[in-house]
Amino acid sequence: MVVIQMVLLAGVTLGLLLFVRRWHGVRMQAGKRIGLVAFGVLNVYAVLRPDDVTWVANRLGVGRGADLVLYLLVIAFILGMLNFYLRFKTMDRRLTELARTVAIREAETVNRERGLLGPHDVAVSVPTVARTTQ
Amino acid sequence: MPESQAAPVPAPDRGDVWVVVPVFNEATVVAAVASEILQSFPNVVCVDDGSGDDSAAQITTTGAHLVQHPINLGQGAALQTGLSYAKARPGARFFITFDSDGQHRVEDALAMLDVARSGAADVVLGSRFLTQQTDVPRVKRIVLRTVVALSPTSRRLKLSDAHNGLRVLTKPVVDDLKITMHDMAHASEIIGYLAGSDWRVKEVPVTVNYTDYSRSKGQSLVNGVNILFDLSMKQRRKG
Repeated sequence: MVVIQMVLLAGVTLGLLLFVRRWHGVRMQAGKRIGLVAFGVLNVYAVLRPDDVTWVANRLGVGRGADLVLYLLVIAFILGMLNFYLRFKTMDRRLTELARTVAIREAETVNRERGLLGPHDVAVSVPTVARTTQ
Repeated sequence: MPESQAAPVPAPDRGDVWVVVPVFNEATVVAAVASEILQSFPNVVCVDDGSGDDSAAQITTTGAHLVQHPINLGQGAALQTGLSYAKARPGARFFITFDSDGQHRVEDALAMLDVARSGAADVVLGSRFLTQQTDVPRVKRIVLRTVVALSPTSRRLKLSDAHNGLRVLTKPVVDDLKITMHDMAHASEIIGYLAGSDWRVKEVPVTVNYTDYSRSKGQSLVNGVNILFDLSMKQRRKG
């Protein structure tokens, strides 16, 4: 079991590090897609020729081929969830920037009507945060 | 401070100061808190973070500026909105963050402002542990101490209190600071930002009023776990 344990733990750790460090951009995007396709192909192969997978599994120290596929699925699942989480955070940030811009613009009008802002104080301010592009 | 009551400083004196108050469902106290701040500071901006109660209406009964988030975005986001609004106002040089639940004292803010104005620091943070304030609830003390101990950045700055909502920031700092952690993790984020920058940071002892009201809203132990998770997942800009 030692080989497979090391492979799996290394896989998870490497994946987490890569994701969180956000190896952003085209390369990471392509890497994720290649990984997804490769995993799909591997699964088709595992269904068609389970004995081959079992052979690989035995080499790695796992009993059955199905177990190996399950382990890989766990890794894929964790990475998938993390990917989703990070994407969700990005969405959240965009939403916040949008809401902030709307809120400040609205507030400048409202507070001018309340007499708190002078007419000279016209700055239609776009918050600097809103300019960070993702 | 008794002398500040005896001889109130005329308001225009602090026209370059903006007090930012993030508000979420504080209708019962926010008007009183805002009015109290307005007695010492002419410029107060309350950011209503999508409250479900009539916090916004309460704010408009005072002379405080109102910025309303259309949806609830979290306290960190509200602070950033308030700072963005305030720094767009001409002549703004000092920015004070102040919690809306009445736990901070205006005289502490004034003392901290004096430190910032003297040029001794770019950032002044309030700390309830510098003077061993005695009535901090014990669980809270443990949580806050743990957060400080676990955060390498606050240790580098030798801070005693990483999660105090009372801060004075100068204009260059506010221009540079971008709060991206929207919930309670923003406090640690600000400390982390300060530790990674060259700004001169000073802590000033403050007293936090633990009323039953503020006690009921404070951070719990569970929240500490959330803060640590969010911070560890924070995306590095340059990998």
